[in-house]
Amino acid sequence: MTTHSTPTISRRQMLKRMGAATAGVTVVAAAPMAARAAKKQEVRYAMVIDTRRCSGCQACSIACKAEFEVPLGAVRSWVEHIEVGQYPNVERRMLPRLCNQCSEPPCVEVCPTEPKKATYKRESDGIVVVDENLCIGCAKCLEACPYDARFMNPHKGDPVKTKGNGVADKCDFCLHRISQGVQPSCVNTCQGKARIFGDLNDPTSEVAKLVDEYDTTVLLRGKKTKPSVFYIGADYLEAKKDPKADQYFRLDTHRKEPSSKRWA
Amino acid sequence: MLNRRNFLKLGAAATTTVASGASLNVHAAKELPHWGNKDFSPATGKQRQAIPSACWQCVTRCANMGYVEDGRLVKIESNVNSIRTEGVMCAKGQAAVNHTYDPDRLLYPMQRVGERGSGQWKRISWNEALDMIAARMKKNRDAGTPEKVAFHYGRMKASHSKTIGGFFKAFGTGSIGNHTALCEGGKWTAQELTWGGHYDNWDFDNTKFVLNFGSNVLETHTNHIPTAHRLLWAMAEKGVEMVSFDVRLSNTAAKSSEWVPVKPGTDAAVIAAMINVVMSEGLYKGDGEEFLKYTRVTEDVNADVATKIATIKKHVKDYTPKWAEKISGVPASKITELARRFAKTKPSVLVSYRGLVAHYNGNEGERLAQLLCAVTGQMDKPGTRMKAVGAGWKWPKIPKAKKIKKLDIFDGFPGQVAYPTHHVAEMVLPMIKDGRNGRPDMYIMYCWTPAYANGNVGEAIDILKDEKLMPFVVSVDPFYGDSTMYADLILPDTPFTERWTAEDMVDPAQIGEFYIRQPFTKPLGEARDFSDVVFDLAKRLGVDMGKAKSHEDFVRLACDNTPGVKEAGGFAYMKKHGVWHDKKAKPQQQVYNRPVAESVYKAKGVVLDSASGVYWKPASEADAKKGYVATKGAYKKYVAQKMPHGVFSGFAPDKVNKSGYLELWSPLLKAKGFNPFPTWMEIPEHQKMGPDDLVLTTFKHATQTHSRTMNCKYLAEVYHNNPAWINPVTAKARGIYDGDRIKVTSEVGEMVTKARVTEAIIPGVVAISHHCGHWAYGRYASGRRAPFTDEDRGDRDFKLKWWTENGVHPNWIIPNSPDPINGQQRWMDTVVQVTRV
Repeated sequence: MTTHSTPTISRRQMLKRMGAATAGVTVVAAAPMAARAAKKQEVRYAMVIDTRRCSGCQACSIACKAEFEVPLGAVRSWVEHIEVGQYPNVERRMLPRLCNQCSEPPCVEVCPTEPKKATYKRESDGIVVVDENLCIGCAKCLEACPYDARFMNPHKGDPVKTKGNGVADKCDFCLHRISQGVQPSCVNTCQGKARIFGDLNDPTSEVAKLVDEYDTTVLLRGKKTKPSVFYIGADYLEAKKDPKADQYFRLDTHRKEPSSKRWA
Repeated sequence: MLNRRNFLKLGAAATTTVASGASLNVHAAKELPHWGNKDFSPATGKQRQAIPSACWQCVTRCANMGYVEDGRLVKIESNVNSIRTEGVMCAKGQAAVNHTYDPDRLLYPMQRVGERGSGQWKRISWNEALDMIAARMKKNRDAGTPEKVAFHYGRMKASHSKTIGGFFKAFGTGSIGNHTALCEGGKWTAQELTWGGHYDNWDFDNTKFVLNFGSNVLETHTNHIPTAHRLLWAMAEKGVEMVSFDVRLSNTAAKSSEWVPVKPGTDAAVIAAMINVVMSEGLYKGDGEEFLKYTRVTEDVNADVATKIATIKKHVKDYTPKWAEKISGVPASKITELARRFAKTKPSVLVSYRGLVAHYNGNEGERLAQLLCAVTGQMDKPGTRMKAVGAGWKWPKIPKAKKIKKLDIFDGFPGQVAYPTHHVAEMVLPMIKDGRNGRPDMYIMYCWTPAYANGNVGEAIDILKDEKLMPFVVSVDPFYGDSTMYADLILPDTPFTERWTAEDMVDPAQIGEFYIRQPFTKPLGEARDFSDVVFDLAKRLGVDMGKAKSHEDFVRLACDNTPGVKEAGGFAYMKKHGVWHDKKAKPQQQVYNRPVAESVYKAKGVVLDSASGVYWKPASEADAKKGYVATKGAYKKYVAQKMPHGVFSGFAPDKVNKSGYLELWSPLLKAKGFNPFPTWMEIPEHQKMGPDDLVLTTFKHATQTHSRTMNCKYLAEVYHNNPAWINPVTAKARGIYDGDRIKVTSEVGEMVTKARVTEAIIPGVVAISHHCGHWAYGRYASGRRAPFTDEDRGDRDFKLKWWTENGVHPNWIIPNSPDPINGQQRWMDTVVQVTRV
């Protein structure tokens, strides 16, 4: 039988309660804290995804599709299902995905437009956006993104300027909604309330509290992109090489092209 | 507005932000004050028009909010004020924007001109179409055969059921079929036989432990999101654990603290063994003993609790965990452990669905589940399985015809099913083919696709195509469906986004939510809601539809006359807010143990039926003599139940003449030759299985309803192909590797599909999902275009459709085969052989 526990108290909480906030724990938590302190900005929007609350239902994927009329074949938000183990000890893990709104975004670095970059990080809140009027459709940012979070949108941009390629597009944390005080579309649909959105620089916000409280995971920490999307209950992504590397593993991305880029 | 149950308590922080005078621009906003009910255009920033309404992608019918931009429906979300959904929504509901603008949507009435199924049609006017239908109805009424007008629906609820069903009954035909036996009708019958009215609500808000037999509640359910989100929250916030028995690691099983693989059709044996553990270890003491006062387990309705306990012990004596292990493959120690845990964790909730009930022994599986709940006292109180509560509308009356006649084709062949209280949908076409009980002169399909939804697809298509068997077939459908393509006349229905309805689906908060559906946009083309069309037909036929003049009018009258809704502001209030519930109402529980006053059960005309202990009001002396159980429709005259310790409201009967006890010794089943006590039954086909045979089971995916959502492009993009799940051990024995083409053969046919070799399924089984393998239903679903559709109707995605495979439909090889007690289609019993192609 498969028994996978659903911890209600994180290891860190437990240690805190035991009065033993050891150095090891501090190191684990230090990464997001450091990321937060890296740039002085008033607001840093972030999302915490509590995978324990995700049932893999794809409501977020469809909410996003409809909100932005995302073209078929492309996604701004999606859910990956990861099956591992051996019968009957097999698990299916759910990993909701979206743009990580990196603090050090590699996509911005490669954007060639001058004098202003078409894709840039908003200094005011840390959201990485694309200015479709500036984008020339070169797709360099798609290559540069280690998370495969970008796509070319054929319905946007000037066809002449972009040579018919469309413009780069991706999740912007529903900027048009949050600027009006409304939760992002993927957040308010989530039946498990697995997605929590807010300002990481506000210590009273739930995202800040959760990032402080839990040993959160970010995707591809080694790439030093400093993501603003944090995962609870996805420690397996950062686990050292599995000793049973040949064990059964199946990844369903529910995307058109199985991505060659992976999270770990 | 924030949700009342927002676990993150965003509200407090948001209020502070506003109060402190910080402007709400994006730079300063610390927390976002609005959970939903507002949306803006990403392109222009303009606020979108928000219209509260209700979903109809599945039978759950969640209250929702539609957003309209320049007259076009662009987005659907939940209504944050709904106590059922608490502001969250599934993928299917949101993809309904695709239904509205499906390039293959039917927009005009059409008449067949070529051979049936050849796809040759001519456009006709609504007048011509309705004249044709009215003439045929009139002809049958004049001939004294109104029953030859048969109306068969798949989904029709609340005010739609009242108006459309009301029209046919007012006309004089009772030949009205449904599809419930294909869903979970068997579960409902088992519940009617035990605790009366059907439907159990699982009270996840208050439970401490969930024991699940074959429900994929997190992906799909008749009350899906209202139930599922509560379960996820209970697991995440209170550490509630769920143990799921399933042949397959569904997403529900994957989110459970434990998945217990079980051989198909053997859950009932596991439950029987759990009852054995409870009885042999005395775990019934306390709550179970108290509950047994209200439970019948003996012929003698005056038996005391000690006698009842002795009777149950004797009956389950041989159902040992070791015995169940041999049958189910579940270790005896696991059965014992979980029985103890379920009995001792108070409150625990027992969840069951098609994994338990869509089998030959499904009725008994559900009755055993009821017995396990009874002996542990885990029933009809907070945190357990409870009798459900929905909204009780005061409907406008539509007078029935003086005489209603019906064709006896909806309940299976004579003697085939003992208590088909939800009919036997899968046998309707075979009964028409057989002809012994007559055939309809006109067969009207409404939201019903018999060729796709039933088993044995090939036979169904042959029957639909045969003009001798089916002289005239009408389909009411927004889309060119897999059965609609075989009709003679098609009426273009509206998708739900263009309809009115007063809605009433069950509320897991046990209070009851009143809500309405109103159109987001005007119907496209000449599409019309059939619930409006029946008012036109009534005029042509001189049928009296009562006060209402249209369906909108009917909804208005319901809102303006229903107590509570009326005082809140009636129709105007409901159009503005979409939902209403009584804020002072307390959650309903324990309906069975309310003492009944002597003035009620000794009122004039009320008599005691000594055999059943039922106080009832027989219509005549003759009925009184015949007795309660033997009198047709006696359950409608039920007043109260006499028990040794008093007279109580009891578990009031519905549809069958059961007593007011939780009836687990059933004189009704005894009369039909079944064991009156819940009993393990072997599945005959499984008894005869050879060593190379496998069992085919079916399942649903979180992004699809059974038959009707594959033409939603956003959903089809996520899930459009359904390779057969097979365990590596089972696969290897047949030389099958992941992705191989395989042939699956049953007694009614064979099909070729691909193998998904996965560790997430028990050996000995092959599982193929529903939803896929359409042969019509438009280009997104099947690649096939509907008649009279433009190239893409402005759908800029059309050229971007990238998937070419549409999967397979398992129903081609599943025979139509009802549960002998209740008529439930046995989706999970088919024996097959699987080979590599």
